[in-house]
Amino acid sequence: MSVHEQFAEDLALYALGALVGPEKDALEQHLEVCLPCQSELQQLQSDATLLALSTFGPVPPPRSRKRLLQAIARERRARVAAPKRSAWWVLVPYAVSTALIVVAAFLWNESRSLNRTLANLEQRHAEMEKQLRVAQDLVNTLTSPESKQITLAPAKALPQPQGKAYYLSSSGHLIFLANNLAPLPPNKVYELWLIPSTGSPIPAGLFQPDSHGTATVVNPPLPMGIEAKAFAITIEPAGGSPAPTSQPIMLGAA
Amino acid sequence: MTTPDPRAVPPDAILVSAIASGDESAMGQLYDRYSPIVYSIALRVLGDAGMAEDLLQEIFMQLWRNPAAFDSNRGAMAPWLAAITRNRAIDWLRKRRPETPVADVALSIEPDLAYKAEIAQSVGKIRSMLDNMPVTQRSVLEMAYFEGLTHSEIAAKTGQPLGTIKTRIRSGLLALRTALTQ
Repeated sequence: MSVHEQFAEDLALYALGALVGPEKDALEQHLEVCLPCQSELQQLQSDATLLALSTFGPVPPPRSRKRLLQAIARERRARVAAPKRSAWWVLVPYAVSTALIVVAAFLWNESRSLNRTLANLEQRHAEMEKQLRVAQDLVNTLTSPESKQITLAPAKALPQPQGKAYYLSSSGHLIFLANNLAPLPPNKVYELWLIPSTGSPIPAGLFQPDSHGTATVVNPPLPMGIEAKAFAITIEPAGGSPAPTSQPIMLGAA
Repeated sequence: MTTPDPRAVPPDAILVSAIASGDESAMGQLYDRYSPIVYSIALRVLGDAGMAEDLLQEIFMQLWRNPAAFDSNRGAMAPWLAAITRNRAIDWLRKRRPETPVADVALSIEPDLAYKAEIAQSVGKIRSMLDNMPVTQRSVLEMAYFEGLTHSEIAAKTGQPLGTIKTRIRSGLLALRTALTQ
């Protein structure tokens, strides 16, 4: 299993805690349902830890060790402080106090347990709502009357490859399906571009076709409210490019 | 007659188990083994020896109070301590509440840096990889990791496009991945 190329770079940023905003939200939404990307994230976090280890060298002063062991010993003494022996009647107020503390602790514990259960239920509810929203977004992008359906054909009119983009500008959602794509060498990748009415092309995801030549891009991180003039595909170096570096091999006007 | 194994020191999991039963000497052994790693990272991120000592104290006190937070099935002790130290140091640097619970840090089990020779060897390989990395790539990695900057902040600080920052960070991490296998 491999990671989804359109999230590959965001995963690296996320592993360092450097991804923010809508891109972070979109990635977290994707991570909830994608095991390969979860696994790659864990690997990237390990890679990042090697940076931390590169700092190895300075040693703490000896007083730090003494300070730590003294703090630990203080905590131990506080835990094992023993009560003094006294006549039984002297203990009555303590017994009553202890009983009250036990009752209070029991009630507090019950309350915590109920709170935990409630928090778990709320979390499950929130997760289900999130999954439902994702499904609704997908259906809406495919069926909304406002959704534009664009068919992309090869720029040089080659008959076989075909791509379809379903794009909802108001929400920034995009689904792209392609088939009959030629395989690429390992150092190249297909890159989808949203060409806005004004301004430069916006990267809309990287992809590699599978062995049957089909590929999909679902909800790449895109800003909302961008009117698309067209969609295009170029072949870029592995890892993608911030701006097209070659002529489009497929193009479709919106 | 057999030669004693020079690496016959208690494994981390044994020491953690002893700490859970209140063994202060086990805590001292674990401190001796890993305090340089924790202190080095804290000093690199915070840039202040006093704060680095305070963070060192906090990290080991957390381990003393909650040794179960370390799960040897989810990774080795050195990278785990490195990750939680870096995360907490960035929290201190940006004066924010802790974002990552200690027990949630899961890493692959390599490298196992329990022994000084292995530490020195691994650190040498990592530094060599970083030294050979283009300066522009290394600096964006370090800004994200040691300064806790976001990709937009790095783009604003360096004047590089966001896409370039993203590509450099990813390829830099992937290059580091190969450091210990070479």
